Amino acid sequence: MTKTISPTRSFRAHRRTRARWGFALSVGLTVAVAVVFILSMTFGSVTVPPLDVVLATIGAPTEKWHTFIIYELRLPRAITAVVVGLALGASGAIFQRLLRNPLASPDFLGVSSGANVAVVAGFVLWNLTGYQLSIAAILGGFATAAAIYALAGRGDGVSGYRFILVGIGVSALMASVTSYLLARATLNDARAAMSWLIGSVGMAKTSDIIALAVALTVLLPASAMLGKRLRVMELGDGTATALGADIRLDRVLLMLAAVILVALATAAAGPIAFVALMAGPIAERVSGRADPSIFRAAVVGALIVQLSDLVAQHALATPISTGIVTGFVGAPYIAWIIIRANRSGAAG
Amino acid sequence: MTDRHTLDVAELTLGYDDKDIVKAVSTNIPTGRITAIIGANASGKSTLLRGVARLLKPRKGSVVLDGKAVHDMRSLDVAKIIGLLPQSPVAPESITVGDLVSRGRYPHQGWFARWNAEDDRAVADALDATGTAELVDRKLTQLSGGQRQRVWIAMALAQGTDILLLDEPTTYLDINYQVEVLDLLTDLNHRTGTTIVMVLHELNLACRYADHVIAMKQGEIVVEGDPSDVITAEVVEDVFKLQCDVMPCPRSGTPMVIPLGRHRLVEKEKVDAAG
Repeated sequence: MTKTISPTRSFRAHRRTRARWGFALSVGLTVAVAVVFILSMTFGSVTVPPLDVVLATIGAPTEKWHTFIIYELRLPRAITAVVVGLALGASGAIFQRLLRNPLASPDFLGVSSGANVAVVAGFVLWNLTGYQLSIAAILGGFATAAAIYALAGRGDGVSGYRFILVGIGVSALMASVTSYLLARATLNDARAAMSWLIGSVGMAKTSDIIALAVALTVLLPASAMLGKRLRVMELGDGTATALGADIRLDRVLLMLAAVILVALATAAAGPIAFVALMAGPIAERVSGRADPSIFRAAVVGALIVQLSDLVAQHALATPISTGIVTGFVGAPYIAWIIIRANRSGAAG
Repeated sequence: MTDRHTLDVAELTLGYDDKDIVKAVSTNIPTGRITAIIGANASGKSTLLRGVARLLKPRKGSVVLDGKAVHDMRSLDVAKIIGLLPQSPVAPESITVGDLVSRGRYPHQGWFARWNAEDDRAVADALDATGTAELVDRKLTQLSGGQRQRVWIAMALAQGTDILLLDEPTTYLDINYQVEVLDLLTDLNHRTGTTIVMVLHELNLACRYADHVIAMKQGEIVVEGDPSDVITAEVVEDVFKLQCDVMPCPRSGTPMVIPLGRHRLVEKEKVDAAG
């Protein structure tokens, strides 16, 4: 470093380079989502070329039957994959950064399983449908999040580790409640609930997608603003307070956003395993030295669900649930995190 | 900063659970000077600093900034005046130096405010003052302990506060880095007149670098003042339960504490004869 360059100018240049790289990356990932979005509507029992997919989607089909195939069969599924992935990715990244632990995703915190129980109960016990199930999922997610917060958040501050341990306990409890509900359900209900519990983007109803899209329209821009708070919250309660953050309020706001997103995603597509867990860290990996961003985590989440669903639909002779594919990818990923954390001594 | 901000502690009682750790402590922090809070473990020195930094709510009494109780002020307003470096600050694993130091600008940015030239200048100055400008692209985890501590100080400096609190800024650092950090803080104090309050473990360094020491025992202030006036063998024995000699440091004239212990001592007369 020569003294001729003023420190301000050299820092500004550094900051701008980093911001530009982050922006380019966000654009690139968004384009990737768009490409996979079109490709996912190309393949199926009949192949519709990508250009025809685009034309049919915007309402100018080259062949009349394209409209039916795209609108009735493939578009809902493709949209679900994107919105569910965005919601899971954003939600997971918020939890992980807030609790400063890569294992702190809603999968482990019990929030997903709380939403599960509510949906299964609503479906099996009270025959709820559509928006009613979305609301049940949100209530279930909130109830478990509040319970875990109350159990883990005693004393000053919330330790990420304690949160996860309590969350794992609550998850186990919720899983047994779900099993109990299934045991006393009719055979048909139990079958329907079981396939929902594996998680698949193929079964989302229009009402689910709309609820989730509305939530995303509000919460994704909001989380860009919340992201500013997250940037200081993840430095720990001490530093965050000294920097003027209202840590209690900010923590509640961030968790609220994350719980709504994961609950609605769960209501739409069932608990698609491990997407929320993987999206944030993968986004951070590809981001390199760019500042972390909730948006990029969301977009990576969308990509994971899209690609998993492509595999789920086309890799085998018979289509399988999306959740099975993410489960296969996610399990080794968790093992890898734990091994890495133990090696670097960062497990605590 | 035209007027210097004043910081006082009035009848402050702090504690965890059902135990009072700091008991009705009152003191005026000297404005524009370096103050070191010393004391044995569990003397309440860190708790006092945490209370002043608003990390703990007072049980009784108050922390008074410019005549107003800080706990009644807006948190963001206080954050523009008082900065803190906690004892073991945490950061995301992959954070870069530039990103971390930039986060010190948080209290100066509203919900919608964009990063501006003033922010650039503050961060650049903080990096420059701590000698960390070349590290800006590095990840925090790749740095040595001393470098890392300088980066954290840079973050606190970027906050641009008139008062800086540091909780054991030298603990876990090698001796050369301890001196480096204290030199850096003294430079800052001389250059900008920033009021510095820090908890220090190392008694001799506290005597060397502080203009004012506050010695605590069992949650109360035993004595405070200029180290040359207040650090005596009796005080050290009272505060640390340590038999010692205190003599002026041959290089700086500040008090130097020499623990006696039970081994390897020679008769005091022989020392005087040899000297």
